[in-house]
This record gives sequence, C-alpha cells and structure tokens, in this order.
Amino acid sequence: MMTLKVNGRDHQVDADPDTPLLYVLRDDLALNAAKFGCGLGQCGSCTVIVNGKAVLSCVTPLLLVEGKQVTTLEGLGSIQAPAAIQRAFMEEQAAQCGFCIAGMMMRAQALLQKNPKPTDDEIRTELEPHLCRCGTHMRILRAVRRAAHLMQTADASTVQRSAQ
Amino acid sequence: MNGPVILDRRRVLAGGGALIVSFSLGDAFAQDQAAPAAAPAPAPKPPGSLATTPYLDAWIRVDADGSITVFTGKAELGQGFKTAFQQIAAEELDVPFGSLKVVTADTSRTANEGYTSGSHSMQDSGTAIQNAAAQVRALLVAEAARRLNLPAENFRTEDGAVIAPDGQRLRYGELVAGDMLHVEAHPTAKLKDPATFKVMGQPVPRVDIPAKVTGGAAYVQDMRLPDMVHARVVRPPSYGAQLTECHTSTVEKLPSVVKVVRDGNFLAVVAKKEFQAIKAMTSLAAAAKWKETPGLPRQEDLPRVLTSLPSQDKVIFQQSDPSAIGGKTLEATYTRPYQAHGSI
Repeated sequence: MMTLKVNGRDHQVDADPDTPLLYVLRDDLALNAAKFGCGLGQCGSCTVIVNGKAVLSCVTPLLLVEGKQVTTLEGLGSIQAPAAIQRAFMEEQAAQCGFCIAGMMMRAQALLQKNPKPTDDEIRTELEPHLCRCGTHMRILRAVRRAAHLMQTADASTVQRSAQ
Repeated sequence: MNGPVILDRRRVLAGGGALIVSFSLGDAFAQDQAAPAAAPAPAPKPPGSLATTPYLDAWIRVDADGSITVFTGKAELGQGFKTAFQQIAAEELDVPFGSLKVVTADTSRTANEGYTSGSHSMQDSGTAIQNAAAQVRALLVAEAARRLNLPAENFRTEDGAVIAPDGQRLRYGELVAGDMLHVEAHPTAKLKDPATFKVMGQPVPRVDIPAKVTGGAAYVQDMRLPDMVHARVVRPPSYGAQLTECHTSTVEKLPSVVKVVRDGNFLAVVAKKEFQAIKAMTSLAAAAKWKETPGLPRQEDLPRVLTSLPSQDKVIFQQSDPSAIGGKTLEATYTRPYQAHGSI
C-alpha cells in the first residue's frame, strides 16, 4: 500500500512501486483526463503536474511521486466551475478529437504557473514534446495565450477585491 | 495552347478540357452516388442512410414529456457532427438547440451505419436526420390538423409545438402517440428553405469539448466495467510470423495473471491489473519463439505491387466539353507513399 496525494486528497493505492503513475490514476482512481497514448513518453497525452512540474505519467513510477502533490486536469476545475485554462480551451474550441488536449493543458498550466506571460516562442518550445495528430495546433496556441490573459485578469481582480 | 505544357496540381485541379479521375475503391468505401449509366432507374429511395434504415423512429424519438432524442450510427471522434446533427434536427423540428439529445453509435439503439470514415457522416447520417426530422415535423402537424379537423397548411410549428390558426399550441409530446413515428420515410421531404434557417448555419460551441477539457468521460477508454480485467497482445515480430513455441507456465504464475490465451499464432495475456498485464506480456514475448519468412513487398516497389493486385476500377468523376478542339492530351501517373491513418 502506498499513499498518493492526487488533486489535494490522499489515496491509499494497492500497486507495485514500479507501476507507472498513469495506470493508477486511470484504473485505481478512475480519473479520465490523463491519457494512454504511446506508453513510452513520446506523445505527451499522459502529462500531469507533480509538485508544479509537468511530468509524463506513463513513464513515471509510483515510487518517484510518493508524498508529492499530483495534479490532473480534474484537479484544476470542472464543467460547472472551469479553471482559466479550461475556459480558454472551451472558448477557443481548441480540440478536435481531444485525446492530446488534457496533456497539452497540463503542461501549459505548469508553464503559466511559473511564467504568467510567455512569448509565443516559449509556448511552442514548452509544448514541443506533445503530439496532436488532428492538427489543432494553432487553436491550442491561441488557447494558451487566452489562458494567460484570463489568469492575469483573474489575478488583477483578486488583487482589486482584496485591496477594497 | 502552343506554349510548354505545365502540369502541376493546381492546374490539374482547376481543370482544362477533359479531366478523368479514376481510381478504384474497395466495397467498404464505395458509397458514392454515381450509378452506371446503363443501369435501369431504381425506385426512388430516401436520401442518405434513410435508404437503408427507413423507419423514422430509428432516427428521431419524441417522448410524451416532449423530450426529443436523435440517433446516429456514426461515432463522434472530434469531427463535431454530434453538434451539427443537433443543429440539423433542431432546425427541421423547430425546437431549441439545447432541448435535444443526440445518441451516437450505440449498437443496441442506433442504426447500423457501418464505418465512420471518408467524411461520410454529414452526407449519410446528417442527411438522414434532416429528412427524418422534417418528416416527423410533418407528421406532428398532420396529427394536430386531424385533431382540430382543419387543413394542415394552416398550421405552423414553433418551439416544440404545433400552432393552430387560432394560436392554440399543441406540444409535440401531446401529439405523439403509440407507433406514430414507426413509419417508413418517404423518398422526399419538405425541407426548410436555407434562407429561413435559425439554428443551422450558426456557429455553435461543440457539445463534446467541455468533457474533453475537464476529465469527463469522453472516450471508450473511460469505460470501467465491474470486474473488468486487462489484456495485452504479444505482437509477432514480423508480418506472417508463425508461433512455434511458447512455454506459458511461468507467466501464468505471475501476480494477478488470469489467463494466457493462445490461438494459433495469436498470443495474449489477461491480468486483473493493467500494468501486471503489460509486465506479463513482456515476459510472454520473451518466452515466445517465432518462425519468420519475408512476406511483404519491398517498400520502393509498393506502387507496382498494389496496382498489379486484382481490383475493380470505376470512374468517379468525368466531365467533357465536346466543343473544345485542338486540345492536348495529358497523361501522368501519380503515386504517393503509403501513410498509416494512425491515431495517438
């Protein structure tokens, strides 16, 4: 038994320590967002955030994430209360089949958390490990820019509110 | 045309004189409308997939509470047609876009529309839904006219109800009864004039995107059934390889392994947990011995090999202008490398 911290909650998981995080998220915790794409860390669709960093969950054994904060797309927001990145992807309709999108969004989220105003080049470089075979790239880039804008606006309004 | 003949894709596509494009399509994709010229005129059939699944209630269901369900045998995989079909049905039925539910590719509930491929969803299923919805609307109007004993022409539809000449509203749910919609479609339907469209032609956010960006259940992989087990297949090392030997007893004893499946050259392992199945598959692959014989054509020889295979050729587009004279005949052969249509 291992204790795993996912989306702010502790979970007791019955899995071998070499089990990649992805299988535990999907099969044991029934979380849909992280996807099995290639199982080899080559497509990015399994990306989640571990202690603030984007991580390929299909090649990351449980052993390495024990005690750390794991965040999946489910942990950011919901349909009813979407996070800025989720709102941005909905508003830009930035998905075709959508299978790569959760991974793209998690890496973009990690980027925006440490760099709130990335340049286009920085966004492209960051998302380079991710494959999208539908060809939604331009919308994805627009969505990440929109998310950055939404986050800043939200921050600004929070500052305003707390200042009042 | 005395200058040099420049043949590029743009010019060929733009078309000059006669252009015959001909290639052979397997039966699975032979869904084009072109009929052989010599064939006798067939009896008129309803358009799209209504021709093969003609009952209206296979496409549109109206319940007594007024809720409407639209059925399609095509699978939404990001094309956006689930949203488009909802628009089409809402338009032809005169109901608000958000009031409909669309059920996609459910073998126990929807028409069998075969593959979802070749950009045929709108053409086959969208057309069927449009025509079925228009005919359902006409049936509801006819029922309202019958009840009030007035000519159907004097009725109109609006927001899920038939409106009588005196303004009385008969909701669809009240009008539909028994097997009223279990009737075969007519070959033609009175469709809305595109100039009057309210829902079609409008940009509508795709209905499948919110679940896809929030971790909702959106893919077949998101189904988790009670007592579900996981299997992995041991792939042969090359095309046509024969499994000659495989000792399975060690693998069968691995933790959580349920069964090793061997059927001829097919080899797989079933385990209770997914990663255990993967580890067992790796062990099984190491234990398997294969006899390999080269059986595939050389990559650089593929076009010749493919075109020498038995095929059925048919013309899918032909246009000619008998008045054109002094033209030049251009002949060219194009090949492109084989590209697998593989998803992530």
